[in-house]
Amino acid sequence: MAKYLGLDKLQTFAKIIKQNGGIKGSLYKLYRQDELKLGTLVGEDKYGNKYYENNMYFYGRNRWVEYADYYYLDYDGSQVPAEWFGWLHYKTDLPPHLDPSRPKYPWMADHTENLSGTAKQYVPYSTTRPKIEAWCPPKKK
Amino acid sequence: MLRVPLSKALPNAVKAVCSPKRGSTTLAKAPEKIEVFIDDKSVMVEPGTTVLQAAAMVGVEIPRFCYHERLAVAGNCRMCLVEVEKSPKPVAACAMPVMKGWRIKTNSDMTKKAREGVMEFLLVNHPLDCPICDQGGECDLQDQSMAFGSDRSRFTDIQFSGKRAVEDKDVGPLIKTVMTRCIHCTRCIRFASEVAGIDDLGTTGRGSDMQIGTYVEKFFLSELSGNVIDLCPVGALTSKPYAFTARPWETRKTESVDVLDAVGSNIIVSTRTGEVMRILPRLNEEVNEEWLSDKARFSYDGLKRQRLITPMLKGPEGELLPVEWEDALSFASKAIRDAGSEIGVIAGGQADAEALIALKDLINKLGSELVCTERAFPDDGAGTDLRSSYLLNSKITGIEEADVVLLIGTNPRFEAPLVNSRIRKAWVHNELEVGLIGPCVNLTYSFDHLGEDPNVIEEVLSGKHPFAKKLLNAKKPLIILGSQQLERNDGVAILSKVQQMAKHLSSKIGSEWKVLNILQQVASQVAALDLGYKAGVESLKECPPKVLFLLGADECAITRDDLPQSTTVIYLGSHGDNGASMADIVLPAAAYTEKQATYVNTEGRAQQTLVAVTPPGMAREDWKIIRAISEVVGKKLPYDTLNEIRGRLEQVSPNLTRYGEAEEANFYDQAVELSKEACNKLDCEPLEVKYKDLEDYYMTDPISRASTTMAKCVQAVRKQKESKYYDSGTA
Repeated sequence: MAKYLGLDKLQTFAKIIKQNGGIKGSLYKLYRQDELKLGTLVGEDKYGNKYYENNMYFYGRNRWVEYADYYYLDYDGSQVPAEWFGWLHYKTDLPPHLDPSRPKYPWMADHTENLSGTAKQYVPYSTTRPKIEAWCPPKKK
Repeated sequence: MLRVPLSKALPNAVKAVCSPKRGSTTLAKAPEKIEVFIDDKSVMVEPGTTVLQAAAMVGVEIPRFCYHERLAVAGNCRMCLVEVEKSPKPVAACAMPVMKGWRIKTNSDMTKKAREGVMEFLLVNHPLDCPICDQGGECDLQDQSMAFGSDRSRFTDIQFSGKRAVEDKDVGPLIKTVMTRCIHCTRCIRFASEVAGIDDLGTTGRGSDMQIGTYVEKFFLSELSGNVIDLCPVGALTSKPYAFTARPWETRKTESVDVLDAVGSNIIVSTRTGEVMRILPRLNEEVNEEWLSDKARFSYDGLKRQRLITPMLKGPEGELLPVEWEDALSFASKAIRDAGSEIGVIAGGQADAEALIALKDLINKLGSELVCTERAFPDDGAGTDLRSSYLLNSKITGIEEADVVLLIGTNPRFEAPLVNSRIRKAWVHNELEVGLIGPCVNLTYSFDHLGEDPNVIEEVLSGKHPFAKKLLNAKKPLIILGSQQLERNDGVAILSKVQQMAKHLSSKIGSEWKVLNILQQVASQVAALDLGYKAGVESLKECPPKVLFLLGADECAITRDDLPQSTTVIYLGSHGDNGASMADIVLPAAAYTEKQATYVNTEGRAQQTLVAVTPPGMAREDWKIIRAISEVVGKKLPYDTLNEIRGRLEQVSPNLTRYGEAEEANFYDQAVELSKEACNKLDCEPLEVKYKDLEDYYMTDPISRASTTMAKCVQAVRKQKESKYYDSGTA
């Protein structure tokens, strides 16, 4: 009955508000992420990003990530580590902590996000010779 | 060595002798002119004029490869064939003198066919190198094959035998040879034997086996060798340092002046992407004709090395550390303020007139008169007060008219190669007699060596010496005194004797002919003396100032040992050399290709350089730096723009801004009278010159010392000396 009256929408809305931390928390999330979603927490990576799934949403929107709080507004896709990338993009249905076949070697490098545009970005050195060679003052003996 | 008697002299030499400007008395009357017709246009020419010259008079340019105005006529390329009416065969225009009434057709079918034929034969053995050839874009063969060649090829190599191939020669570090491209115009051979005076180049073999070369494996080393690159109509001889770096159509050309010697050769600086790609001569009949010395042409890579690109201050451990302009200016100004009037200046060999006047004004405002040039000049007698005492008074073109030249204590071949080439030109075409007092060096022409003892000057003056008779009998004698001798202790006596001799000779001739000539060594000296700089650093050595300002002074006229420990040395210049190494404060300035500046050559001819590239890094134009310092010191100089500082130059010495003109000097007699009062005792020490050998020539100033090309030249000369074909008499 409630379905016919559209009251379940209100129920869902209330659930969403509740899951996202009440009115204050929901407004904050809305500000950070531009949407509020209801879902089950699948896992969390070592950087604090949380991964959710809700098959109520259609394919393509049913798995998502909520970036760790310390990123605030500076989050982007490259902050998802490789092991969660596969799950998030439907390469696999097993999240990393449930998948025993994932290789884990001590030499595997830690994930780094894309540093372009930051002070730590990679800049290739110039391979051309300088047009002017400056004078080096002779060193004092 | 080539020396043509006057009767058989080249057509242009004949023309030059005949011209009224020379004021020659040997010709009784001008020969009658004859009428010829070029493409039915009538033109009156002197007898002996060639068809090619007659055509040039009416503005018809006949294509040519071997013919060159400044070289003897060879007539071997046949490109200049033209039809002459009633003549069965076409004639070579460059070698054929016109006859009365000739009707020359430069555009007839026969002429065109002859040209096409010649072009076809040349191209049969010319490689299709144009896309990778450095001459591409400025190649005579390329241009003329477009203009005069056939529009289709009959060249089919059905035997697959290939075109004529010739092995490349190694003729030194400056000239790259691709001998397969050679069309045997022999311009390079004629240049070497006629202008450079080095008979190293020649031909071997005949017909299709003919080769241009040095006969034996040796370098073509001469102070003028680079000119064969310009002369070569194809890409057989190209510049080695410039190889594969730029194309002529993508470079920006700036007309400028060379400052590496006192001749002030006119140059074109080719630049691309803010970098000097090469330096070429610019035509100026009064200075360098169309030649350029190798140092001026090839030392441009020195402009890119050892540069000062940031101001520097001496750090706590006595090391120069890069700083910002603000710090450098405030430190320099503090030192200058603390010194008060105890400040001195040494101006180096490449300082421009703008910087010289700005610095002199600043120092004078501070209450000091210690503004000196690096090169000394006797102070007694008239000193540097009369311009006639320090100029090449007869001008460089005057040498061509002279009949006897006496060189005293100079080696013009390496001090001023283009002055030497003028002397040689007069020696070849004008029966010039040359005498030399000083070390017996190879001048590329024959001369009477009168000895090394300065007392020979006295003997010639008194008429005891046999050469004195030749001088006295000469109609246009010249005495060229090397400025280096005036740095000696008895410099004043030498100058005085030479002035007396010149006065004696000119009073005998009684015309406007100037006998006395001083050949300066460096580009800045005349401008500095015109502006009232004191020549020589003696006064600075006597009372060392608290602040010593070096304006590009790198010749170690004063070393750190001559100065007390407390003296602050400020160096303002473009290159890190001796001057910067002894400095406490280094201010980076612009080199001559990077500023619009005035230079006065040894004749007293004011010329200006133009900005070809911007100064590197934080370097700035010299006078602007001095102007900035003056403001921080609190003695602001009253000029902010180039025009204003040139107005100031004009106030001090108006000739400095009359560009292109050589201002005549005067008061010869007064200079002699004044110098008579000075000490007249000659030393017995023999006269000495600094540059005796080709290897001394290449690296003489901060720019050429920084140049790797010049260093390679020095090495090449040394290598040549070890060669079994080396002959010290001719090199």
